[in-house]
Amino acid sequence: MTGDLSRQGTVQSHTVIRVPGKSHAADAPFVLLLVRLDNGNRILGHFHGSEPPPINSRVSTSGAQNETPSFSIFGETA
Amino acid sequence: MSVSVHAAGVGSTKFGVLPARTLQSLAVEAARAALKDSNVPYDKIRYLFVGNFVGGIMTGQELLGPIVAADLGLSNVAAIKVEAACASSSAAVHIAHDLIRAGAEDAILVVGVERLTGAPREALTIAMTAAIDQGSEGQTGLTFPGFWGLIMARHMHLYGTTREQVAAVTVKNRRFGVTNPLAQYQKAVSLEEVMGSPLIADPIRRFDCCPATDGAAAVVLTSEALAQKCGSPSVRVAASVLVNGPARITDYSEITTHDGTVNAARRAYEMAGVGPQDIDVAELHDCFSIAEIVDSEDLGFFARGEGGPAVTRETIGRNAKIVINPSGGLLSKGHPTGATGCGQIYEVAMQLRRRHPNQIPQARWGLTHNGGGTAAAVTVHILEAVK
Repeated sequence: MTGDLSRQGTVQSHTVIRVPGKSHAADAPFVLLLVRLDNGNRILGHFHGSEPPPINSRVSTSGAQNETPSFSIFGETA
Repeated sequence: MSVSVHAAGVGSTKFGVLPARTLQSLAVEAARAALKDSNVPYDKIRYLFVGNFVGGIMTGQELLGPIVAADLGLSNVAAIKVEAACASSSAAVHIAHDLIRAGAEDAILVVGVERLTGAPREALTIAMTAAIDQGSEGQTGLTFPGFWGLIMARHMHLYGTTREQVAAVTVKNRRFGVTNPLAQYQKAVSLEEVMGSPLIADPIRRFDCCPATDGAAAVVLTSEALAQKCGSPSVRVAASVLVNGPARITDYSEITTHDGTVNAARRAYEMAGVGPQDIDVAELHDCFSIAEIVDSEDLGFFARGEGGPAVTRETIGRNAKIVINPSGGLLSKGHPTGATGCGQIYEVAMQLRRRHPNQIPQARWGLTHNGGGTAAAVTVHILEAVK
């Protein structure tokens, strides 16, 4: 999750982790998104919200590139 | 010229919650059963492979190869553990197959074994997620139900696969499990029970998940000549393929297509000289109900997107052209990870020998498909009945 990442992309799929591992126990339930970034890379990230956005939603993220990204809805659905 | 390889004998313990059993005792029980079944003398065995995934984490026991060999009374054998997550013992079968096929060995014992119950749930979660790359995706909180939840949501989006179709996989496999005495779950469930069970990783629900299981299974692999000499009730191993696939979900170009399975199947069909239309019975890696649908498409049994409708059309039930997971699969027979691959071969061998409790009439060709991690280690075996 390091390198030159575009910070906008399209949701490929989503889930809500309700039974987490110990390291994420305090966060559950949390939304996990599989996002195809505009530069073609695919990454996993969290989502600001309790319900996942529809597949093909446009999302963006900010923050350090060596951390798990946390996405928000951005722009129009693809 | 390559040697024809046979599964000369098979053995299995019951799969389930077996708190009184150790890894060693389970492995020895299955191994002795397979050796007895094969009629192959112990002194013909020069290699012992023990397929095991998380024995160290769950029980503190490693060095299973020499320990199981000693408990079996085998001496001067090459005895090692093989690990490929949930495909550990089928990967071991593949290595054994290639050694015999090359003419390097004549008889090899493969045992798969696992103990997944009896430790705190947290230990099980840590153990299972050890097959997720902890340097990258593990840091996001991805779990295996989460991995398959992402796949299921996308399969439903791309192909219109319905919640009912996915639940029907569990209903079918639990129905088969009722009459398999080795199965962990021997109780049928309804569509409503599956769809009303608690969410684990949306849209995956509890009854979409295979259970944690203890158990062992074993296969004695030999040359055709030795199997005939010993009078073994063998089946021919027409193809044995092990390939790697994407080791991270972000490595997939499309998560509803598992490249490892597609590539392994292509090579296996070529090696056996058959196609998916020739397979009569298959044991697929249904760790989650959606996995059976994805597997059945990747193996070429159904066109992309047709795996879901095939379940509810009863095209894979007991009297169908191809019968999928008549053992009950991982969803019902159980998933003792390191033992699952050998367990699948046990089930298909019994079908081809006409000795299965859920017998498929006229079964000639059988296939097993076993996946480790994010389908990062995939085996496909094709077996043929011996006339």
